[in-house]
Amino acid sequence: MEPSLLPVEILEAQQDFPMALAACKDLDGLLRLKGAYIGREGSHAARLMELLKAAPKEQKRELGAAINALKNQWEETIKARQVELENAKKRAAALGNTWDPDLPAPMPAQGSLHPLNRLIDRLVDVFRPLGYHVEEGPEAETEAHNFDGLNIPVDHPARGSADTFYFEKHPGLLLRTHTSPVQVRTLLRLAPHIKEKGGIRFLAPGRVYRKDEIDPTHSPMFHQVEGMLVGHGVGMHHLKGTLAYAMKALFGPGADIRFRPSYFPFVEPGCEVDVRCPLCGGSGCRVCKQSGWVELLGAGLVHPNVLEYAGIDPGEWSGFAFGMGVERIAMMVSQTPDLRFFFENDQRFLKTMGGLD
Amino acid sequence: MLIEIKALQQELPALRDINTKDLCELLASLGFPVDAVDSSNGTTVLEVDVTANRGDVLSHRGLARDLAAKLETKLAELPVNTLAEGAPLLPIRLESEACPLYATAILDLGKAQGTPTDVQAFLGHMGSNAKNLPPVDASNEILHRVGHPTHAFDADTIKGALIVRWARAGEKVVTLDGVERTLTTQDLVIADEAGAIAMAGVMGGDSTKVTTATKRVLLESAFFDARTVRATAHRHNLHTDASYRFGRGADPAMAKVARDLLVQRLEAWAGGRLVGAWTAGTVPSSRKPVVFDSSVINRVAGESISVTEASAQLERLGCAVDGQHVVPPTWRHDLGIPDDLAEEVLRLRGYDRIPSALPPLEGSPEPLSTGYLQRRHLASRLAHLGFCQTMTYGFVDQQEKQEFDPDGSDPALRTLRNPLGEEYSLMRGTLLRDLRDAAALNLDRGAHDVRLFEIAPVFVPNPKNAEEPIREIWTLGVVWAGETGGEDPLTPVRNIAAPEGKSHLIGVLKTLGISDDFLRAFQRWEMTGVVGGTRNHIGWQFEVPLEAIPATVERVIPAYSAFSRFPTVERDFSLLVDLDQSYRSLAEAMTAAIQGAAGEAFQDLRCVDVFRHKSLPDGRQAWLLRVKFQHPARTLTSEEVDVWMAAGLGAAKSLGAELRG
Ligand SMILES: [Zn+2]
Repeated sequence: MEPSLLPVEILEAQQDFPMALAACKDLDGLLRLKGAYIGREGSHAARLMELLKAAPKEQKRELGAAINALKNQWEETIKARQVELENAKKRAAALGNTWDPDLPAPMPAQGSLHPLNRLIDRLVDVFRPLGYHVEEGPEAETEAHNFDGLNIPVDHPARGSADTFYFEKHPGLLLRTHTSPVQVRTLLRLAPHIKEKGGIRFLAPGRVYRKDEIDPTHSPMFHQVEGMLVGHGVGMHHLKGTLAYAMKALFGPGADIRFRPSYFPFVEPGCEVDVRCPLCGGSGCRVCKQSGWVELLGAGLVHPNVLEYAGIDPGEWSGFAFGMGVERIAMMVSQTPDLRFFFENDQRFLKTMGGLD
Repeated sequence: MLIEIKALQQELPALRDINTKDLCELLASLGFPVDAVDSSNGTTVLEVDVTANRGDVLSHRGLARDLAAKLETKLAELPVNTLAEGAPLLPIRLESEACPLYATAILDLGKAQGTPTDVQAFLGHMGSNAKNLPPVDASNEILHRVGHPTHAFDADTIKGALIVRWARAGEKVVTLDGVERTLTTQDLVIADEAGAIAMAGVMGGDSTKVTTATKRVLLESAFFDARTVRATAHRHNLHTDASYRFGRGADPAMAKVARDLLVQRLEAWAGGRLVGAWTAGTVPSSRKPVVFDSSVINRVAGESISVTEASAQLERLGCAVDGQHVVPPTWRHDLGIPDDLAEEVLRLRGYDRIPSALPPLEGSPEPLSTGYLQRRHLASRLAHLGFCQTMTYGFVDQQEKQEFDPDGSDPALRTLRNPLGEEYSLMRGTLLRDLRDAAALNLDRGAHDVRLFEIAPVFVPNPKNAEEPIREIWTLGVVWAGETGGEDPLTPVRNIAAPEGKSHLIGVLKTLGISDDFLRAFQRWEMTGVVGGTRNHIGWQFEVPLEAIPATVERVIPAYSAFSRFPTVERDFSLLVDLDQSYRSLAEAMTAAIQGAAGEAFQDLRCVDVFRHKSLPDGRQAWLLRVKFQHPARTLTSEEVDVWMAAGLGAAKSLGAELRG
């Protein structure tokens, strides 16, 4: 075709078409372009049709073919672009409804039990299947329950005000120095019913106080869990069997125990109980001072005087008692370097150490 | 107690074949754990832990004796020449039962005086400096070797007779450490005719002490009652090597032996020449026999131990056994009942041989107490609700009264007589003080969302009850401080310290079952704490006695209660109300009106949105109230719900509310 057949503006439009098409980033722009090139009125195509109408007859055939080619090219190109843009829009709309699951999720608030409470509860759970329930007593305790009933001599140094906190206005009232007075209270309460109950067995967890300065290994308030069993024919073998079960339940099947003779006024015989170091399994480490054993608790058979004080006949009944320091076990198991962390209450420590049950 | 291995081996030669590690194990198995091993001074010294009931092992020979029994071997012969005693050179009067025996001797000292260097080294290992005064050093050495404390007086300073008697009230003596002690009638003293010259079994006196100028010494090797010595040492806070050993029970039979050893040493080291030796009083009659009851031994041991074996073990320890009874040796004051004998038999056999068995379950187990279960349940609930359980000491300072005044009582009634310091002098009457401080500490350290709780007793004076002058009330304290949320794209940040933040805490407390009445009555919601050096409002706090919280410990499911299967109808009101409109009074009035009209079909009315904006009329806010209806027996019609809603709107209008268009 002779290029001169088409007017200059149409040739320019044809030249601009690729760029104009590329400039259409959305469907609206494309529709405007479509209107300008192939719309029914005022478009370049409409203008060409007018031109064709007015063209001399002999040119019509050739011009018509040229115009059709041009129109078809525009139409097809625009249509293809429209499909492209519509697909892009659909894809964007679909993406707008997605959410990257790796974005931080709203977490349910996570609190924690205090590690010491958690350990105490764990001990209760360990002894529960053996029939132990929980007995408790006051922290402000009488000298009679804290010392006298436990066969602790009147001149024992632990009774002094260097070791034990006393109340200003109440002579004879102190902050209990161990959970053992709960033994005394419970024995006194249950003594009249001991026959019908067929014995006594309980755990006594609680807060106790001693006059120690606050430092990385001492605290004026700490926790003990006391355990006691009174029955017929109770001996050291029963104590050993019970503690062996409990330590395996607590630390796992590798937790062997060993007994060493020791002395506490309220038991006879008395013993210290070591557990095979839960950290190194007995091969020796810093915690067990290379010995493979760590000291865990004090125990023994209930002294006949303690039973007698409560009105229980030591000729018929015998029993054992054991007491463990909760902080001691917590420090040993967790390797916390400073006891004060347990009482400072920094949430970071509490959340790491306490967790949930 | 310090033990030099070399000196221990002298007492028990069999130990030469045992290495230090095995020796430590052996000692631990006998009940004497070794706390430390020091090999730094060319010899090995053990720090041995001895229990309070075993005064008899507080020396090398004493410890060796226990080891000998365990190893079934013999102690070395004690190198002592028994002195022939003569007539008293001066009268010794024993006026108290607390001193039944007083062995003594007088020696003239020669010119050349010196403590042998090996003895000086030994004393060094025992942690005491040799004085290079033979009477003092020899006494000290004998104490560590055989355990019996002795004393040497400068004989020329003693005026007249020697008397062991109770001190007179207010009587004074200057002890060797140069301190003047004022005595009581419960202190036993050694006196001459001019007055007290020593505190018996505790410390000698300054006026009669041995010096380099001393020409003649009077030796004391006595037996003093343990309780008396303990009491005096405690009363005067004067704890010495002597009081430690007499206080735990010395061996009266050793008195003469120790004197003889002392004489021998002074003869050898100080050119001593014995003038005379004699003894006042007698060794107290032998210990009370203990019933030999093999049923107790077998019960304690958990297995049958033959009488022969048990007797042999006890005899090895120095007991006299006659089948029915056991007489403990003079050095054992801790064997009083058959159980004590059982312990000794087991100890020598080895605790590792005790069998292991679970006791039979006699009687039925008791349930866990509701108090314990409630606390455990509450703690678990709160932890799952995002709160961290705290643990605080329980002591606070006297400021608590000014800040919190928990129950208005006199804090003196819960004050300690001997606290660690003023800041720990009061047993707390509230948990809020400690929780507040813990919350502030966490905020100060950069925590955003601080949620803490503690469950512990608070102390409440109960002066009318002599049995229980201080009541302990288990209490729950809860605080929420800082801000919450803002940690992820979906949870907006909310300022807990803002007025509406309190509702977050109230929601938690209601979840626990704490009643509206309790929540409304609580006065101290506002929590201020020091953060960044200044005291601010940091959040909200609450405290409640546990008895006010329903204990949900019933583990059996409750009885069935019917619920409707018909559709629920929800309708919303948007009401314009005054900014100071009480929600409670509006909700109660509307609830009453709607319930009056709808009866059992009424389910719930609640505000689900509060809208405050400048586009609303001045002084007004918009509350979106949602009402739920559901009939137990039929589907509701729109018309009847319209009527009920109109009744509710009427009640709202009567309180000044209007429907928002
Ligand atoms: Zn280890």
